[in-house]
Amino acid sequence: MKKFLLNFLWVLLLIGSQAYAQGPVSGRVTGKDDGLPLAGVSVTAKGTKVGTQTGPDGRFTINVQSGTTLVFSYIGFITQEASASANLNIAMLSAPNQLNDVIAVPYGTAKRETFVGSAASITSKDLTNRPVSNPLSALAGVAPGVQVNPAIGQPGAAPVIRVRGIGSVNASNAPLIILDGVQYEGTVSNINAEDIENITVLKDASSTALYGAKAANGVIMINTKRGKKGANQVNIKATAGLMYRGVPEYDRLDAYQYYPMAWQAYRNALLSANPTLTRAQASVLASGQGTIDPLTNTQLPPTGSGIAATTRFPSISQTLGSLNNGNLITQSNNPFNVPANQIVDVNGVINPNAQLRYDDLDWLAAVRQPSNRQDYTLSYNGANEKTDYYVSVGYVNEKGFTVKSDFDRLTARLNVNTQATKWFKTGVNMSGAVSSSNTLTSGGSSYINPFFFSRSIGPVYSVYAHNPATGEYLYDALGQKVYDTGALANLGVPLRPAGANGGRHVLQELLLNDVSFKRNIFSTRVYGEVSFLKHFKFTTNLSADYQSVYNSSYQNQLVGDGAPGGRTSRTANFNTYYNLNELLDYSQTFDKHNFKILAGHENYTRLFDGLSAGRNTQLLAGNTELVNFTTISSATSSKDRDRYEGYIGRFNYDYDQKYILEASIRRDGSSRFSRDSRWGTFGSGGIGWRIDREDFLRNISWIDLLKLRSSYGAVGNYQTDGLYPYQSLYDIANNGAEPGYLQSTTVGNPNLKWEVNKQLDVAIEFGFFKNRLSGSIEAFDRRSSNLLFNVPLPVSSGVSIQTQNIGEMYNKGIELNLAGDAIRGKNFSWNINFNATSIKNRITKMPVETPFIVSGINRLEKDHSIYDQYTRIFAGVDPSDGSTLYVPQEGATGASIRTINGVQYTIDQNLAIQQYTGKSAFPKVYGALTNTFNYKDFSFSFLVNYQLGGTVYDSQYQSLMSVASYGGAMHSDILKSWMNPGDVTDIPRIDNLRSTALNATSTRWMKSASYAYFRNATLNYTVPKKLLAKLNVKNARIFVSGENILLISARKGLDPTQSFSGTVDYAYPQQRILSLGLNVAL
Amino acid sequence: MMAASVLLPSCKKEFLDTAPTDAVSTEVAFTNTVNARYALNGIYRAMYLQYANQDEGGESSVMIDMDMMGEDVVNRNVGNGWFRDIWRYITSRSVNGSQTAFVYRYYYKLISNANAIITNIDAASGPEADKKAIKGEALAIRAFAHFKLVQIFAQRYDATTQNTQLGVPLNITTKVEKLPRSTVAAVYTQINKDIDDAITNLTGATARTNKSHFNLNVAQGLKARVALVQQNYAVAADMAAKARVGFPLMSTDDYKAGFNNYNNNEWIWGITQIADQGTFFYSFFAYMSVNFNSTNIRGNPKCINSALYNQMTATDIRRYCWDPTGTDATLPVPAGGSRYPYMNRKFLSNSSSNSYGDLVFMRASEMYLIEAEAKARLGNDAGAQDALFPLAKQRDASYVKSTKIGTALIDEIMIQRRIELWGEGFRFLDLKRLNQPLDRTNSNHDPLVSVQMTIPAGDVKWQWLFPQAELNSNDLIIQNPIN
Repeated sequence: MKKFLLNFLWVLLLIGSQAYAQGPVSGRVTGKDDGLPLAGVSVTAKGTKVGTQTGPDGRFTINVQSGTTLVFSYIGFITQEASASANLNIAMLSAPNQLNDVIAVPYGTAKRETFVGSAASITSKDLTNRPVSNPLSALAGVAPGVQVNPAIGQPGAAPVIRVRGIGSVNASNAPLIILDGVQYEGTVSNINAEDIENITVLKDASSTALYGAKAANGVIMINTKRGKKGANQVNIKATAGLMYRGVPEYDRLDAYQYYPMAWQAYRNALLSANPTLTRAQASVLASGQGTIDPLTNTQLPPTGSGIAATTRFPSISQTLGSLNNGNLITQSNNPFNVPANQIVDVNGVINPNAQLRYDDLDWLAAVRQPSNRQDYTLSYNGANEKTDYYVSVGYVNEKGFTVKSDFDRLTARLNVNTQATKWFKTGVNMSGAVSSSNTLTSGGSSYINPFFFSRSIGPVYSVYAHNPATGEYLYDALGQKVYDTGALANLGVPLRPAGANGGRHVLQELLLNDVSFKRNIFSTRVYGEVSFLKHFKFTTNLSADYQSVYNSSYQNQLVGDGAPGGRTSRTANFNTYYNLNELLDYSQTFDKHNFKILAGHENYTRLFDGLSAGRNTQLLAGNTELVNFTTISSATSSKDRDRYEGYIGRFNYDYDQKYILEASIRRDGSSRFSRDSRWGTFGSGGIGWRIDREDFLRNISWIDLLKLRSSYGAVGNYQTDGLYPYQSLYDIANNGAEPGYLQSTTVGNPNLKWEVNKQLDVAIEFGFFKNRLSGSIEAFDRRSSNLLFNVPLPVSSGVSIQTQNIGEMYNKGIELNLAGDAIRGKNFSWNINFNATSIKNRITKMPVETPFIVSGINRLEKDHSIYDQYTRIFAGVDPSDGSTLYVPQEGATGASIRTINGVQYTIDQNLAIQQYTGKSAFPKVYGALTNTFNYKDFSFSFLVNYQLGGTVYDSQYQSLMSVASYGGAMHSDILKSWMNPGDVTDIPRIDNLRSTALNATSTRWMKSASYAYFRNATLNYTVPKKLLAKLNVKNARIFVSGENILLISARKGLDPTQSFSGTVDYAYPQQRILSLGLNVAL
Repeated sequence: MMAASVLLPSCKKEFLDTAPTDAVSTEVAFTNTVNARYALNGIYRAMYLQYANQDEGGESSVMIDMDMMGEDVVNRNVGNGWFRDIWRYITSRSVNGSQTAFVYRYYYKLISNANAIITNIDAASGPEADKKAIKGEALAIRAFAHFKLVQIFAQRYDATTQNTQLGVPLNITTKVEKLPRSTVAAVYTQINKDIDDAITNLTGATARTNKSHFNLNVAQGLKARVALVQQNYAVAADMAAKARVGFPLMSTDDYKAGFNNYNNNEWIWGITQIADQGTFFYSFFAYMSVNFNSTNIRGNPKCINSALYNQMTATDIRRYCWDPTGTDATLPVPAGGSRYPYMNRKFLSNSSSNSYGDLVFMRASEMYLIEAEAKARLGNDAGAQDALFPLAKQRDASYVKSTKIGTALIDEIMIQRRIELWGEGFRFLDLKRLNQPLDRTNSNHDPLVSVQMTIPAGDVKWQWLFPQAELNSNDLIIQNPIN
């Protein structure tokens, strides 16, 4: 589209400019990267006005004499000179990050040169090498100020994007997506990356203001491809790849290390529960070498311990797993080849003769599956003077590295535009996608989350059941190994305790269950454009996106939440999005004064229709449809509407493309606010100064671009949690069979209005030394006011929340972007692109009723950032008994207060003071570094995302260091825990009974959030034309690429990219994708 | 802009008016008595909704809490951890405990909904008699909720003092505002006012449509409970006797049927659930039944304190409810489930795969026990012996009317109460109202599992801490002492 437009402009500009014919020289210009012909390249004889441009096939003819120096220039490519000769073949090198460009802006396009806003973009070229099912993943590192946290590993998952910090406390912080000019709320992974011409991120208020309604968090504009002028071209792209776990697992104890540590934790718990036991007595009991009571197969309390003789003590192996018959414990956990009471001796040392007799203790391996990824696109496009077309079909299939996770998508797109008459232009862009996916629970400690289950289960539990006497596998009637659910009492297998997820089996459940969705989207954009009175243009855009998602969920009869009846549910959601806008453009030029005025109106409707039903108690095995179940457990439907309407005005002016002025205004109404307060008016203004075009700089040859720009504006945010926040409602709640309703916990606020985001932006853009060094330095100050704040109401009022416009917050930042050609040779070039962003976030006003709000590890309070961490202060470990020491509350007294070396501590987490830790999840600086190397037909590039500073609360590590439940996995650092009086360590005693106090939430679990992430590397080889000519192939390219290659963080297993708020979860680790691709043009 | 407004069509004002389909506005809710009844039904529904976690199933979860914090329900294993920190007295002492926040939020939700009815019902259209009855029920609900809250979060009511210790916020208007803690005395004054008004309004009302509703009997039963806690034994005995009128003691067969039948003639107040209210893992039966196939029940079937069990006579039919051996194959343990000695089969889920069921909140036996205890504590030994006799005889055909007097008689009644009401949510509150210590020793409690084996009477641990969510939003709240 870009090339087409420029082509068109050039035609206009060059009409009548051809003169001084001196003798024809002809040739052909192609792009060096893809070998495709370049149309519309300006070809001029140096120092003269003689010029032409290339045609659709890249060919040109110019009337100059041989030997004349010709200058080839084209937007987006490095200007080249060559001596005129017959059959001149020019391969132009693209200039990444060149600032000269046409960019997408709201309701139109703008020339970079006269653009006063802040934007960054990527093009199809950047996308084509990335094996991404969600095109937004390719935005990582593309521009300063744009933070892209990679998608979780679930195939098809979306990345999380934040533009310039966090602007809202409770309303959405997600940027607005505009697809081909219209707001898009379908899932972005519906879009085939290969269909995308460019993606632009708009960051400042002046460029986003026209989308006032939702643009407070930045705008991501996606434009799909259009037919290019020239011969019809067919493109085929095929990639195939393998997927691996991208982030390693935490270091955890193996079975040999685990048993002695489990013994420690248990022995210490025995002492905590029975203070009259001696350490030696407890050690004997823990090992299982005390006096056995034949009635229970547990140990009697030692004489002299002061404990009633009726009390019985199990051994460590009985604690880690047992089977009982009445009081008699008949089996215990024992993966070793030595008797259960000889695994660990009375000193807590593992028996040197112990060898594992089971080989299926690795649950991570058990849930792994062979993975692969395939991605194919076939497209063809072309254009004549009046009509252009682009057609594509694509297919993606991804199978993740964990069982029951995959993504399958078929896409098709048709984009046709025609200049029907001289004054009427129209076009339609239709696309459809049909996806289906098996999805895993990612995040949270659900037993069917394989990342929770496999990380948390101790290394002494086998995936399959064994005969405890012989160690042999047990088989079912079909000859299959029996899954050890930890609840196989009927087979005489010891039961697993709570910490080892007793009674559940993630692999068996995942294989038997079904959690999947089918998603269809049909998306249409149509426009009609009427030009009249020379300077006027009226456009109507109509779009309709229909997305339906059909979710299936089935839990089996054998094991897990559905057992024993089995249960199933279906949810169908039909979302429809309509957008209609009418735009009137006026543009006029007087001498060097250029004017453009835009006026418009739009409305937007979202319809959500939902239907869901569930049943339990399955009849026939194998059929998971509702009809095959007897009892209805739920059946409901609902319909919701969300609407807004807006009026738009924009004014652009420039003088000789030197002094630039832009102003816009927008008035929006939203159905989420009451009639009295639903309308908000937002506006912006921007100025630009092309200093390089001033006479005093014009002659300095090394300055190619020097632009100063600034903008200020306000945009709105209406994205409240619910769709009806101004209304006080009663929810439907039937009492048994009686109809009923119940007060909603959210109180309506009729005065609720728009959250406002005001942003000031100042930037210098530059290009020096024939743009060998280019970049920008930019500062912004983004202030949010009337924050849509979910104000917590006193719980004793019986309601929970009212959304109010209370609170203020700012995000101030500096962004740096540098691009340079370190080497720019004939055969070899090296380009470096670096960006960095530093943001400071502060809350400047809180609700009067709630001057602070504690939520998890954070506390919201004036003069603190939204992610400032607030918790207990860990002050070390008492060497006398291994207790965790916390800084106490002022004036705290009692037995838990200890004075060590004159300093007071508490060992009771409830008496520990909670305070700001001085840490925050916000990094000091983040950004990306891209290196691109070109050598003859090869090019290689790699991208590194980085983040420096910031703190993450590593709750995963906390869980692995805590031993509250028997049977849970432990982190390797537990080997360094306190064991004997006098031990000096910063890891406390491990004690199953006191784990809550010993491992309470505190600064102990905070870790640096700094990371370096090798996100992508690609090697490209363009097959030489000579080889292709015989095959009738215009162009061919082979590439290998790696995605999510290596994450280096402060702790192995810790993935700070999981959230912006500094928390981590049992998430599906990102997939490392290695792929091989072929791109052929016919 | 001018051009836009002239040239372009603008939408109708109504374009931006939207409303949900799964909710109604407050105005609609109180247009008439028919709708107001729906709002009343919703409150009863709120008593068995799931709030957040699966241990937040409305009244049923609070009932489990109250037994977990006593000594009569025994956990031999931590199961999958639900309620573990309640029985270890950790959750109730943690401001961030989600269970603490749930209990507090849940009762104030009932109160707030009741307040809306009490405030708006007079203006609704409809028969005066209906309005009176609806208001009566709402008042009773408000009394019920404040009564639970003050027992859980405040120091016990002590009839020998002025009870000026801090209670809980009294919420009796529809205004959303910060409320300080009222004194325990003030809270009980309001509870009694509400319950007395409720009794007035419900007297002569038409029969309730569903046993989930307050009627005169339930209101009287609640009054008896309140009076018992206030050591106002004469009122307790009187109200208990009135409340049980029309509710004969259940038969042996009914007693063995699993406490899951709403039509049991002894039930004065209870709820029924229907299948499509999908209770899954937050149901009472997902934790307390013998047969529902949940991880919690498989790993941790709830047992009775062995010392208490052994107090039953050999001919007591209630022995059926527990298996002292842990080997009785007639107990319908779910596949792969553990068995422990003294595990219960008092509570039976509808099936091993469906946890929905009926739940009892108040039954005639309790009223016999209240009357007996109150009379015994008043020194009316003969009256107490008479009051206890019908119940004890019903449960053990060979029971001979007690001849005990004084403390021995009180002890006998209390043993009867603990056995009869085992698992029905009374024990923690009984210990607290009587200012007795918690003592789990000399029983089948495992110190490694229960951890908190003893708590002296009057300890700070008898008061739950106010949740952080309330402290965040209401700085008038003075927290209970931490230690």
